[in-house]
Amino acid sequence: MTAADVAPFLFDVVGSMAIFVLAVLGLGVIASMMGIFNFAHGEFLLLGAYTVYLAHEAGLPTWVGMIAAPFVVALIALGLERTIIRRFYATPVAAMISTFAIGLVLRESVRLLLGGQFYSVEAPLIGAFFIGDVALSKWRVVIILMTVIVLAASYLFLSRSTLGLYVRASLENPGLARASAIPTSRVYAGTFAFGAALAGLAGGLMVPIYSLNADIGVPFLIKSFLAVMVGGVGSFEGSVLGASFIGAGAAGLPWAIKPVVADVLLFLVAILFVKYRPTGLLSLWRK
Amino acid sequence: MKEPLAAAVREPPPCGLQHLRSVNMASTMSASTSKRKVLPWIEGTLLGVFLFLPLVLEHYWVLFTTRIVILGLLALSFDMVWGYVGILSFGQALFFGGAGYSTALLATKLGVTSALILLPAALLAGLLISLVMAAIILFGKRSPTAVFVALGTLTGSYVVERLLRGWSYVGGQNGIPSLPRLTIGTMEIEEGIGFYYLAFGLLVLVYVGLRWAVRSQFGLVLAGIREQEERLAFLGYQTQTYKGIVFCLAGMIAGLSGGLYSFHEGFVGPAQLGPVFSTQVALYSMFGGAGTLIGAVIGTGSIEAVGYYVSQYWETGWPILLGMLLLAIVTYRPAGLISLVVSERERIGTFGGEAVSASDNIAERCHEHA
Repeated sequence: MTAADVAPFLFDVVGSMAIFVLAVLGLGVIASMMGIFNFAHGEFLLLGAYTVYLAHEAGLPTWVGMIAAPFVVALIALGLERTIIRRFYATPVAAMISTFAIGLVLRESVRLLLGGQFYSVEAPLIGAFFIGDVALSKWRVVIILMTVIVLAASYLFLSRSTLGLYVRASLENPGLARASAIPTSRVYAGTFAFGAALAGLAGGLMVPIYSLNADIGVPFLIKSFLAVMVGGVGSFEGSVLGASFIGAGAAGLPWAIKPVVADVLLFLVAILFVKYRPTGLLSLWRK
Repeated sequence: MKEPLAAAVREPPPCGLQHLRSVNMASTMSASTSKRKVLPWIEGTLLGVFLFLPLVLEHYWVLFTTRIVILGLLALSFDMVWGYVGILSFGQALFFGGAGYSTALLATKLGVTSALILLPAALLAGLLISLVMAAIILFGKRSPTAVFVALGTLTGSYVVERLLRGWSYVGGQNGIPSLPRLTIGTMEIEEGIGFYYLAFGLLVLVYVGLRWAVRSQFGLVLAGIREQEERLAFLGYQTQTYKGIVFCLAGMIAGLSGGLYSFHEGFVGPAQLGPVFSTQVALYSMFGGAGTLIGAVIGTGSIEAVGYYVSQYWETGWPILLGMLLLAIVTYRPAGLISLVVSERERIGTFGGEAVSASDNIAERCHEHA
């Protein structure tokens, strides 16, 4: 084993982790901040991917679609939140079912529009960087950088800005927040749209790597849920941590054992972990 | 989803579950609530219709109705866990498909075709799989959150589907095709009228059994768990055990349904135990109305029938429409279709006879606790 053997493997794992962290983050934000487990999350990823595809079909450069994706998805999510999801804040289980239904409608509508085909869109950056004789795909490098930037920006936004304070206040104690003149209902809507925008961005960046079809979001959904629970619901860092673990496992394990077995093993370990540590990874050292 | 108990019990009752017994007693409630019962009429009508239906239908429609009857069993199993103890299980397809695979393997690898062996085997398979699932998800020191249970069961369903898709011994992606017919003695049960009455007989048996169970003292405890699990735990009920019992019972019913389904279709495949199918079952039950038993059967029948007609004209649009229907139901009629005709008070219903065994005498317990 030389550095040249290990480097591509590490790069691959980190690249997959980055996409996955980005995909999970939106779900984590919505679940932690609002207590809503959004079953339509995979479809938000899909909508982001679909936006890029539409831009591509219209003859625009791919990166335009990728910039538009988070905004488009955020707008759609905002509309859904205002009309449907806001009814279900008090009943988390009904919220799950309604978001599941929304996901079904979105997914099947996209399937109808795509005609059940697979499409691929080229990455805006093609080629690779060479470090010595190790090739690193340019696009994956971009994704890793984007993830780091988005993570940092989201973290700063939530922990340092007034709006972020409102968001955290509405999560901690909605009643008191309302009494302190924080418009919790609008904060919730904004948070939901923000989480959806992250999903849209992840979906948009994903398109060049995965080919686009209507079921692109489905495998992400269960993995994302597990990641959020492993990390610990209720904190931003928890989602990132859980996503990193599950993402690394999902990307790294298949190098060692059969992909099918790896998947199953990962899920089982995650479920058992959540069973015995329902508060998540973070609580292990935040006693 | 979960409304409080009937309007009669808005205020917290003095103690225990006594208030449940007063629900629906012919007391001097507001005059607007009629005392007539609707549920028995619905059940009776459906029983009559389903009893004579296959005699007037063409062969194709008999097959279609048989499918509804078998899936109705599966929806019943979901209704037990969700509608009666509030476990949101997205794993019912796993018990269904698991039993389907087990019986299919018995038939293809060992040449067993007797229904008298295969159907109990299906029950057993459903029981064993749901026991394993309950051990992993439900039991433990802490009682799991609703979200964890939903995700855990969904994950289980997904994981097993993935495993089976990659396992060539059970046919991988294609599953196990061309199963033999079920036999009783030397008689083959053909798809059509014979199979229909077998499935329907089992459905009626299971239905009557469940109906009796949920209206007994046992059912009273279940209703208590659904509405106020903590209070029941404080009263000394082992709520975890009750939930486990119901979960495994539902697993058995789902297993039976899966065994029947495989042999009716002559095929079992990995899609039958995946999360997509699991959620479909949840739709059936919620659409008809959870916590009523008959609602599950009504939901299955109406979704399948509407789905069939819509797909005739607009194949790809049906899932979209289904999603919208579900959304409308969850938003405007959380108690399902059946709530259009059955009052909330009747849905909660009355429990048991007046004969209360000492161990279950809640009133007595109340005095002890008071």
